[in-house]
Amino acid sequence: MQIRDYIIRRLMILPFLIIGTSIIVFALTRIGGSPIGIYLSHEMSPAEVQEMKERFHLDKPVPIQYFYWIKGVAQGDLGWSGVASAPVIDVFPKKFAATMELAIAAGIVAVSLGIAMGTFAGARRNKFADHVIRIISVSGASMPLFWFSILLLIVFWVWLGWFPIGRSDPNLFEAIAHPTGFYTIDALLAGNLDAFKDAVWHLIMPAVALGYGATAIIARMMRSSLIEELQEDYVDAAKAKGLPKNVVLKKHARRNALVPTVTVIGLTFGFLLQGTVVAEIIFRWPGLGRWMAAAVLRGDQATIMTYVMFTSILFLIVNLIVDVVYANLDRRVELGD
Amino acid sequence: MRNILIIAHSILLGLFLTVGVNAQTIKNPGVLVHAADDEATTLDPAQVEAGEGGETVILQVYDRLLEFGPSGPELIPGLATTVPSVENGMISDDGMTYTFEIRKGAVFHDGTDVTAEDVKFSWDRIVEMDLPEGQAGVISDIVAETKVVNDYTFQVTLLEPSASFLNSTVVSMAASIVSKDAVMANGGIVEGEPNEYMAQNAVGSGPYKLKAWNRGENILLDINENYWGNKAKLAARIEIGAEPDVRVLGLRAGNYDTIETDPSFVADIEGADGVTLHTGGLLLEPIHVGFNLNIPEGALPKEDTIPTDFFHDPRIRQAFNYAFDYEAFLYGPLAGFGEFNPHYLPIGIFGHDPNAPRYGAQDKAKAEELFRAAGYWDNGFSVSVITEEANLFADAALVLKDSIEDLNPNFRINVLAVAEAVFDEAHAQNPVEYAMWVKNADPFADPHPYMSAYQHPDGEWGEVHGFANGYRNPEKIAELIDGASTELDVKKRAAMYSELQKMLFDDPMWLITAQEGVTMAYREWVTGFVHNPLWPRPSLRFSYLDK
Repeated sequence: MQIRDYIIRRLMILPFLIIGTSIIVFALTRIGGSPIGIYLSHEMSPAEVQEMKERFHLDKPVPIQYFYWIKGVAQGDLGWSGVASAPVIDVFPKKFAATMELAIAAGIVAVSLGIAMGTFAGARRNKFADHVIRIISVSGASMPLFWFSILLLIVFWVWLGWFPIGRSDPNLFEAIAHPTGFYTIDALLAGNLDAFKDAVWHLIMPAVALGYGATAIIARMMRSSLIEELQEDYVDAAKAKGLPKNVVLKKHARRNALVPTVTVIGLTFGFLLQGTVVAEIIFRWPGLGRWMAAAVLRGDQATIMTYVMFTSILFLIVNLIVDVVYANLDRRVELGD
Repeated sequence: MRNILIIAHSILLGLFLTVGVNAQTIKNPGVLVHAADDEATTLDPAQVEAGEGGETVILQVYDRLLEFGPSGPELIPGLATTVPSVENGMISDDGMTYTFEIRKGAVFHDGTDVTAEDVKFSWDRIVEMDLPEGQAGVISDIVAETKVVNDYTFQVTLLEPSASFLNSTVVSMAASIVSKDAVMANGGIVEGEPNEYMAQNAVGSGPYKLKAWNRGENILLDINENYWGNKAKLAARIEIGAEPDVRVLGLRAGNYDTIETDPSFVADIEGADGVTLHTGGLLLEPIHVGFNLNIPEGALPKEDTIPTDFFHDPRIRQAFNYAFDYEAFLYGPLAGFGEFNPHYLPIGIFGHDPNAPRYGAQDKAKAEELFRAAGYWDNGFSVSVITEEANLFADAALVLKDSIEDLNPNFRINVLAVAEAVFDEAHAQNPVEYAMWVKNADPFADPHPYMSAYQHPDGEWGEVHGFANGYRNPEKIAELIDGASTELDVKKRAAMYSELQKMLFDDPMWLITAQEGVTMAYREWVTGFVHNPLWPRPSLRFSYLDK
């Protein structure tokens, strides 16, 4: 089958998969009970509770509730988030952008520091610098994120007062428009350097806390790959040709050592996204992780369903892309059979 | 490795203990930064629930006709120029009609004048919308008619004379005055449906204007330069969503000026450089254990062995009250910040009789005597108590479990600590499918709402929980509560509440674990600090504060 036909066929199946997924997600969240509790206070009378049920169609049988929900979704209404006190559709893009901005910043910290440290240590195997970097790596990989985050918070926010928590200075936030939800990008688009510096300043602490664990993983991978590469014959040949040590290291050995490291970097992005929950809670970062943690604890089903549906659809699309890329890379793979 | 961890933790603790800033360096000059417990749900007075985070903002940005002053329950003029009384002729002799002269020159944040028409519109609006999460009953249960006499005179006729109208209804956040023009231009009034604009914006006439509400981050309030009264000295920023530990750290570092906290953090705050711990006064939200006298057949958890009429017997309810270890709760979870409380009229509320008998001390012998008399001592019982997890209510439930199980090995209390949403749903059932629960009450400024909601056999909860099945004399209790609500003679009214307290000691419908003390913390550079538990939490009016 041609790739074009395969993509069309998969795209035609996609809506059915999404509807199927939505039924499963809806049923699974309802197994935990009615979501009405998130809309109530403990002083509400039974009559008031009944009115709230009617407002959110929770007085209807579950299949009818699903109908109302899917109808709302089709009209862009993802329900009301009791945790955020706002429609999910209004909140989700902002929280998603906040989390992605943090994860990307943490990724930049992890990749730049990890590769640099791994290279530095690998080139100085068993020397003092190597031992120091290994200790840093081991501590980064083994230190609980919450503990490290609190440590950073105490030292740099409370004690030294160098870095703020939260996501932005409220006055600078108000001064610019937010078309993307990524404050750094919004500030650049607005041409407001102060807002950009403020956004970066707010990012540093949570990004370092979150990126430290991944830094350690990347550095260790880079170090061991580099050590292996430095033992290869082509490195000896390059040295014998009289190439400077630095050129051999950076142009030859490091380039090859990056191949397995890049694979690890790809995997670490998932690790970073998981870590945002803890980092967002401790650094008061208004992202998806903190919102979702509160939603799970408080039974905010509209929020949970949106999140699960979002990740499910993302997974379906990514799967499709992977299939197509894989078929392109390896022509022996037959699509669609 | 273990040693390394111990050293690391020691370093962390050391850093924590050395946290502090130069008390002279005022951070965030010109802005009061308050770290709040949680997010507001709505900013609309017609939608906000009592005790909810939105009331914190409504207090600052809206005015009411009258307000509680800074030092207790005394009423001071708000948008009304005078506090009505029979003496000044603004309350009719029969106590049925109240007249309010509206302040001339007061303007809403949208620039329109505040008139009697806006006042009538605001009060009628909440009744007409009648939202289940709102507090329409605060007005509709007591007001028969609202009337605009002229542009600056507003009149209210009550359903019956009320001793609590001024200090329960008029000062309530639900009775805040909104701009009619702003509401009508943004969705108007629709019965049973929230107004989305008003939920997210505020068009009041208070000392603060809402600048921005960045959900999950902060709420920004600007000084209202056109305020009719004393202008606020500081702009305000309410920081949302910081964990309790982070709030304490932020206060110690000077990044926050005031924080909401609870007794469990007092040890972290006491003695901190530049920080003042305010512990005066008591909250008006008694923490209580409820008894269900209306248990449906077959509804209780399978572990429960009690019959459905278990709590109909007043001796059982008394026995629970005698068995509870009040000291363990007050000096444990509450860290000593609070008072033993005899019954549902908290200390500080009119009508509270300090000489009335109370269950303030554990009396195991008396509890045993009552359980024996009721016939449960030898065979014992097992009963579940449902509560929210990880808070003072759960602590109270655990103290109850220890107290009762320590009394007799045949007694068993199963504590079901669940998520807040699960508890709210369980508690909102009619009838409730649990025999016992732990929570707190809404705060009120007048004894009547406490008595009406929590003690009256036909009241809001009395009816749901079947109090008429258990009172020795339900008619007498109802007569006293109803009578006290319309009694305008202060001495007679106080005597009626005193008699009620005696009756409710013999015939308790609740177990009041304690009255929690106020534990607020603020930076020393904050001046003009006043805290009134009658204001919505955190019981601060930001306009009084400076730094």
